[in-house]
Amino acid sequence: MKNAFTLVISAVLLASGSLSAAEWGDLKLTFVYDGAAPAATTINVNKDPQFCGQFGLVDEALVVNKENGGIANVIAYLYTRSGPKPEVHPDYAASANEKVVLDNEKCRFEPHVLLLQTTQTLVMKNSDSVGHNTNYSTFTNPPQNILIPSGGQVEQKLSQPERLPAKVACNIHPWMTSWLVVQDNPYSGVSNKDGELVIKNLPVGTWTFQFWQEAGGYVAKVKQDGKATEWSRGRLEVTIKPGMNDLGEIKYKP
Amino acid sequence: MDNGPPVLAIKNMSRYPSKLILAHSWQRCTILVLLAGALVGCTTKAEFSENAVYILKQELASNAEFSQQRHLDLADVMAGMFGTPDEPNVPKLGDVEISKILDATHLYVASGPVSSDERGRARGLYREHCAHCHGVTGDGAGPTAAFLNPYPRDYRMGIFKFKSTPKGGKPTHEDLKDILVNGIPGTAMPSFKVLPNNELEALISYVRYLSIRGEVERSLVFLATNELGADERLFDISAPAEVKSEQASLIREYAAEVAQKWVDAESQATPIESPDPDRDMVASIKHGRELFYGPIANCVKCHGDSALGDGQKSDYDDWTKELEPTNEEVLEEFLGLGSFVLAPRNIHPRNLRQGVYRGGRRPIDLFRRVHNGIDGTPMPGALIIPDDAPAGTKGLTKSDLWSLVDYVRSLPYESISRPPVIEQGYQRSRM
Repeated sequence: MKNAFTLVISAVLLASGSLSAAEWGDLKLTFVYDGAAPAATTINVNKDPQFCGQFGLVDEALVVNKENGGIANVIAYLYTRSGPKPEVHPDYAASANEKVVLDNEKCRFEPHVLLLQTTQTLVMKNSDSVGHNTNYSTFTNPPQNILIPSGGQVEQKLSQPERLPAKVACNIHPWMTSWLVVQDNPYSGVSNKDGELVIKNLPVGTWTFQFWQEAGGYVAKVKQDGKATEWSRGRLEVTIKPGMNDLGEIKYKP
Repeated sequence: MDNGPPVLAIKNMSRYPSKLILAHSWQRCTILVLLAGALVGCTTKAEFSENAVYILKQELASNAEFSQQRHLDLADVMAGMFGTPDEPNVPKLGDVEISKILDATHLYVASGPVSSDERGRARGLYREHCAHCHGVTGDGAGPTAAFLNPYPRDYRMGIFKFKSTPKGGKPTHEDLKDILVNGIPGTAMPSFKVLPNNELEALISYVRYLSIRGEVERSLVFLATNELGADERLFDISAPAEVKSEQASLIREYAAEVAQKWVDAESQATPIESPDPDRDMVASIKHGRELFYGPIANCVKCHGDSALGDGQKSDYDDWTKELEPTNEEVLEEFLGLGSFVLAPRNIHPRNLRQGVYRGGRRPIDLFRRVHNGIDGTPMPGALIIPDDAPAGTKGLTKSDLWSLVDYVRSLPYESISRPPVIEQGYQRSRM
């Protein structure tokens, strides 16, 4: 009986293994602002102006690269709902239990979008010489609001995946905002200053990704290959093939 | 009619036909008046109202309309799980030990129209004592709400300010009882000390019930707008058994998540050790003052240079933030939903010179506020470090917090015009 069971299990493992285990692909999209790049809005620094006033702070809700129109901080994560969970590439093992830092630096959060896995530990710290509070409004994990003095730090585990990026605020400096993406797999990504969003080493197969951007919420109305299309609730189904899967330029205007 | 899935415990669905639930009471009232052809007294059954603000919010976020079918489904599911203001249900939620937090007898006594039975036992306690401010639905938008400052609490977000549990935790039974017994100083919330204990217990149960109901409703609206496909039903009583059971289990999962937090709260109160009763009070107040103005506790940043609560007056609480008060266009849309959406007001840090503390004036109450922060508001909790943390570790020890409490309690007696830069200031104020 036991042998038969083992046989069945190995058969299942083999079957799925032959389909995917050794084959991985990368996903790449480049988000470009649809229109003339809007100018950055300067923040009116009315709290701790002597310290915070020296950094030339701008509103980071929408950051567009003047040179190539790339949109930074577009978020993507694997959307599995009740479907199967992805296999995880061995390269991710090293970072699975890492500490991930959300810093209060130069009167802004660094990074502006923080990708966190449920196995990792969030470290909130304050490298500034002024005090900050880090107030995150998570949905499934208990929210937190802690005053972090200059030079202080605090660690926190978020053990449940979040359904949406969670807002992080500092109430002392109202312009400070960042976003926490908490998932139970490493397949989340955020676009860089050129609008390039890359998620590496996905298991081949068909996956749904959800795209989200601070100024517009779900990235829904986009132009893909020059054609207007709608990704309902920011969701896009992609078939990942071995190697690079470059979806090219995605034009978007929040 | 189908009996419905066992998990949802939809009992007597026929009693709550969806048409009745959705039709506005004024519409029926008008029809009755027209039929009678005269202005006769027109009493209607109390009904829970939908969370129109949250539905609109999710419509905007998902860029999709909350269809008529969704409204019907939501009403059916909510009525099936929670009943009506006259006949509330204790929902059955799988493994959640709901009986620990909701009691059917309590709910019966607290709900319904104000009346008493033949043995003189009161019924309708919530509507007698609470609903005029907090609303039948617990949305903090009863008829008197708009005239109060601060506005009455909307229970439906499941966030409570004055409690013993850490940020994100629900209030314990004791926390809710404290509020009912003592009221909230500085607000319109009175003390209900004169009510017999069993009536207080009934109201505690009912407030929990309304809060769970409201938060589950939010959860289901989120589920419908963000997770389900445009054509997927939230719940379809006439769907094949498999589909129905899948729908029901998803609903139960969302609802159980909310209710479980209330069960968990009972064991989550932050443990607090008493301060040393023989501590040097003058030194403790002095230390507390240094912390108050210093960079580690940083109280001054919001409570202001003179602790008058004027350091940061442009922020909002979480209930108000839902209306996006800084986005005029969106705010207009919310306000346009009806008079139950109250105009936003800024939240102000407490003026600590007045000696009026909403969450209670006992040292332990103030300690909880500085230790855990205040949920739903900008007030953060402290970064606690152990007493034996190496020198230079940034944060506050518990004894630092007691010094802060000592200083805050001394503030109403400290002269603003002659702040105690001079040591004697303390002594004078303490004599």
